[in-house]
Amino acid sequence: MTSDQELQSSFQKIADATQLAFQAIRKLQAKAQFLQPSPLDGQEWYELLRQKLVPQLGGDPWLVAAVVGGTNIGKSVVFNHLAGCRASSSSPLASGTKHPVCLVPSGFEKRHDLQSIFPDFKLHEWSVASSALEESADHDLFWRSAPELPSTLLILDTPDIDSDARVNWVRADAVRRSADVLVAVLTQQKYNDAAVKEFFRKAAAEDKAILVVFNQCLLPEDEEFWPIWLKTFCSETGVNPDAVYIAPNDRRAAEALTLPFYDRPWPVPDDWGPTSPAADGQPRDLRTDLSNLRFKEIRLRTLKGSLKQLLDSSTGAPSHLKHLQRASEELAAASERLSSEAVLKIRDWPSPPNASFVAEIRCWWKARQQGWAKKVNSFYDTIGAGVAWPFKKARDAIQGEPIPPLDKYRESEWTAILTTIEELFDKLQWMADSGNRMVKPKIEEVLQASGRSQLIESLKRHHSAVDFEAELKDTVASEMESFSSDSPELFKFYRQLHNVSAAVRPMTSVVLFSLGMGPASETVAPFVADAAANAAIHVFTDVAGGTVAAVAGDTALSGAAGTGSGMLQAWFHRLHSVFTQRRVDWLTNLIREELLGDLPEQMKSAAELPQSDEFVTTADAIKTLNSLVEELDTNRIPQ
Amino acid sequence: MNTNQQLEHIALLAEVDDLTYRLKRWIDDCPAWQTAHKSRALITRLLERVETLRFRLETPLVVATFGGTGTGKSSLVNALVGTEVTTAGRQRPTTKTPILLVHPELEPEALGLDLSQFQLKRVDAPVLRDIVMIDCPDPDTSEGPSAGSNLAILREIVPHCDVLIYTSTQQKYKNARVIDELADVASGCRLVFVQTHADLDSDIRDDWKNFLSPSYEVPEMFFVDSGKALSEQKAEQRPSGEFGRLLNLLSSELGAAKRVEIRRANLIDLLQEALVACRSDYDTGLPHVESLIKTLDEQRKVLKDTLTKQLCDELLMNRTLWERRLLSSVTDMWGFSPFSAVLKLYNGLGAFIASFTFFRARTSAQMALIGAVQGARWMKSRAKEQEAESTLDRLSTFGISDQQLQECRLVISGHIHAAGIDYAMAEDRRDLTDLRKRAASLEDEFLGDASRVIDDVIEKLAAASSNWFTRCRYEFLFLAYLIFLLGRVGYNFFWESFLAPIFGAASSPEPLLKVDFYIPALLFLVIWSLFLVSMFTWKLRRGLTQRVQNFAQQMAESRLVHGLFPNLEATCRHISGDSQTLTGLLDQTTQFRRNIADTSSGFLGGRRET
Ligand SMILES: Nc1nc2c(ncn2[C@@H]2O[C@H](COP(=O)(O)OP(=O)(O)OP(=O)(O)O)[C@@H](O)[C@H]2O)c(=O)[nH]1
Ligand SMILES: [Mg+2]
Repeated sequence: MTSDQELQSSFQKIADATQLAFQAIRKLQAKAQFLQPSPLDGQEWYELLRQKLVPQLGGDPWLVAAVVGGTNIGKSVVFNHLAGCRASSSSPLASGTKHPVCLVPSGFEKRHDLQSIFPDFKLHEWSVASSALEESADHDLFWRSAPELPSTLLILDTPDIDSDARVNWVRADAVRRSADVLVAVLTQQKYNDAAVKEFFRKAAAEDKAILVVFNQCLLPEDEEFWPIWLKTFCSETGVNPDAVYIAPNDRRAAEALTLPFYDRPWPVPDDWGPTSPAADGQPRDLRTDLSNLRFKEIRLRTLKGSLKQLLDSSTGAPSHLKHLQRASEELAAASERLSSEAVLKIRDWPSPPNASFVAEIRCWWKARQQGWAKKVNSFYDTIGAGVAWPFKKARDAIQGEPIPPLDKYRESEWTAILTTIEELFDKLQWMADSGNRMVKPKIEEVLQASGRSQLIESLKRHHSAVDFEAELKDTVASEMESFSSDSPELFKFYRQLHNVSAAVRPMTSVVLFSLGMGPASETVAPFVADAAANAAIHVFTDVAGGTVAAVAGDTALSGAAGTGSGMLQAWFHRLHSVFTQRRVDWLTNLIREELLGDLPEQMKSAAELPQSDEFVTTADAIKTLNSLVEELDTNRIPQ
Repeated sequence: MNTNQQLEHIALLAEVDDLTYRLKRWIDDCPAWQTAHKSRALITRLLERVETLRFRLETPLVVATFGGTGTGKSSLVNALVGTEVTTAGRQRPTTKTPILLVHPELEPEALGLDLSQFQLKRVDAPVLRDIVMIDCPDPDTSEGPSAGSNLAILREIVPHCDVLIYTSTQQKYKNARVIDELADVASGCRLVFVQTHADLDSDIRDDWKNFLSPSYEVPEMFFVDSGKALSEQKAEQRPSGEFGRLLNLLSSELGAAKRVEIRRANLIDLLQEALVACRSDYDTGLPHVESLIKTLDEQRKVLKDTLTKQLCDELLMNRTLWERRLLSSVTDMWGFSPFSAVLKLYNGLGAFIASFTFFRARTSAQMALIGAVQGARWMKSRAKEQEAESTLDRLSTFGISDQQLQECRLVISGHIHAAGIDYAMAEDRRDLTDLRKRAASLEDEFLGDASRVIDDVIEKLAAASSNWFTRCRYEFLFLAYLIFLLGRVGYNFFWESFLAPIFGAASSPEPLLKVDFYIPALLFLVIWSLFLVSMFTWKLRRGLTQRVQNFAQQMAESRLVHGLFPNLEATCRHISGDSQTLTGLLDQTTQFRRNIADTSSGFLGGRRET
């Protein structure tokens, strides 16, 4: 194989890898939104990828040359000299050219898709020179066929890089990235301007071929100065010009397209002085010089330059990945802290009414008895009710009708819910204030003041729709079922039902966000010990995961209390805790639905970004690309 | 300076002093609001600058060059002074250390400048008789304001300048960096616009002027060739053309007489712009405060509606109490009469029985019915009682429930945070004691109002039921029985048992009426009066529901003076007032700025009012 073919094939490989990397990066960016990564658009490496590498890698090569520089220094004049006609309007007023004008070799537009070469521009066929002067919000590009151009050379005039019309800068930057050759027009006034330096520093980093033209020189006085200007310019920007020209300040010649461009040596010979003008003193034809450039070499050089920028570890795609990873780790650390500190401890969750439990158990019991036993039972019940009736009446008359215990429970549960929500808001506020920049806006969204009364209304609505009777029934049914199947002491238990005195306020913890290793395991441990000691019932619920990691005093039943009232007590603890568990689950689900939405999931997925497929794929793609480019460097024999 | 001028100066200063005084007062009266704090910090800093300016009000104006590198700042200075006092060159940038040019007779220390920053040159040039000049470095070669960079040096100097000569060229008049820098430094300076390189460049002044006009007043632009001007000066010729005019104006229009005027105009510009900035900060912050105010109002209304509804329900349940109040009011109106005596007796007995329950009255409605005076006393004792009660027990009694308090607090705390008000919500946070106290005083206020309205209702009802016609009817019906009874007894006593036998109308005296008579007679008296009384009270109570509804209506229209968060409400009011004061100050300053803008000398431009 010839080295040219080899080169061709390795470039094809690079082109494919670049495509892959491009797709992967975009997908990754979409996935990483939560981390608020710096937007891809506007990052130099990404724009190079999009505007230069993706459209230009692979396929047969061509060369893009662009005339660039500050406003009102004669870019359009130089361009017109290259074009050989007034293809671009020039005016004495600044920032005249607002859209690029492109000369295209004849038939080029049929062989290539111009739009994909200039992805950011809206293409128009050139009709009059002045249309590039008109202001419009779109990025326009006016192209015109130029038969006299070599078949693979495109020449552009670009908007300025330093006027207050910043959109011009954006357009000039886009042209710069697509370009292989830059004709840098400089003047005495502008060669050291910050804006100019910034622009050309980027061009140098991309290894563009640069032809410097010092325009509007006062000749012969400035012969003495241009070497100084050029040295300053080169040392400030890192540019190493491929050729240097100077042109006099001659407005009439400029209008007539007869401005002479004298070439000057670079690097400047040591013995250079104002008295040693160039060899023949004859002006050069810029277009011929441009056509005589070594296209293939320059193109390779600029593609590689752009690839290097893309792969640069401190400013390119790898650093973007690194930033993403760091942000993700930062978020993970923050969330870990949040999930361990943002545990709501609800102390005052009301205890469910024992009386209702007892009634419910009786009910359950009755439904399951048959024959004689049932009769006896209902007889006693009737008698009991009969005896109790007058007392009840008397009490009602004196104290007023008592509030049904479940209604009372509902009331106090609402209080507990309000307390929880309030504490939740406090915690969230704390998280927003002390959390990191990524979490803050999301939480602030949740905390919006205007939403609060609606939230309360909607919680209230949900809460008043809860059927506590049914809740209680379900709890009792499920618990009694398991109890009756493995306890021989059932009857004893039933007989003692009225002795119940268990009344504890369950202590409830709600974990707001848990990522992987939340505090779940820690909070679980003390329950078992405490349950036996009758101190409190802990209920642990995880809002984030939506999982129910309830731990009730299981051991209490089997271990702590053998028989009799001890067992009864433990049994009621269990009922309480199961019931409370159900209620707190209900609440946490509601909080998720009404308040947090998918914020916890988003956080979790963002914190795990470096492990995601998208991230791994992107990192791989970049690594592949890197090694391909390195290979290219080492294998290639310089021409 | 003659006396007249001196007087004028004093007048000019007095106006500034007045404004400063108002601003200081505004600063001192700061509401607990973050935006307000921020704005005040800004204005305070500016006022400090006003103070330092006062000291050097009489020193010569500081005129400095400003413009992109290579636009010919140094060349222009040389031309103005008439000798090469500062280097003009073809390398960019040429000037790196600012050059301070002062007249030999002037003490540069008096200028209040940090002289170590400058290269000081004493030049005996006519143009320097009344001003000092600075040739500044450029703003557009440095990529950032790093220490020692031209940009950093420039930024140090410009705040001390009174007039900037802004030079530009055909190449540079739209340079973004220069424009941006100008936007930052131009407030507080007068501007002179100069296009240089007249011999080489086209005249772009019209385009330049169009470009600047949206943000700057541009009365005049000078198009000069500094090179030619310098050689003219050197040749001791009168400089010609635009340059000549520029030189003239600089020498004559910036003299001692104009100093105070120009400095004052600069100052007012600065103040006005700062106030505009404050105003716009306020405008972004205020909607949050307004929504807080709205929420507070809504809550107050909701609380009052709840209370009204509760009270109405209870009022309707306490019909006997109504009756008692109505009766006593009717009898008061009626004065002494037989039937009213009966009513009084009836009411008195009822009250005696009821008193056992009243003084342990259970509900606020009962208390409201008993009357404003006793009611208030009762309210106090009740509030004390309530404090002691536990959370759960409070739920069902009259008043604002803890839950409602909690809901209010929850919503309000969100708004406070959003509005950026410094309010110690945290103190309200952990327990409800304070909030409950405030709720109690709110209920107190409400019940006070309610009692008065009820008194009114009762008054009216009583008046309606004790008109002349009704009165006569009841009195007649009651008296009819009494008269009948009296007649019956009198007939028996006088006639049947005594006079009839004497006159021979009867053979023997009838015996006097016995107990058998009096018992039924009394019984019927009681029944009759009871019947009448109940007829009367039935009539009294008729339309009570209607009345209570009216009462609710009336309460709904009334307004509670305080809400649950009186301090917060006060802060909100303070903020609204403060915002108005700010608008007032801004208006005053803007007016001031406009007034003095007219008096500035024709060729000086400046930043446009925003
Ligand atoms: N023909 C012509 N040349 C001028 C004029 N004004 C300045 N120049 C030239 O422009 C060049 C730069 O002038 P300077 O005065 O050094 O410019 P500057 O603004 O001081 O530049 P820095 O000090 O770098 O900020 C010099 O070579 C001057 O001779 C002018 O009115 N006409
Ligand atoms: Mg200078």
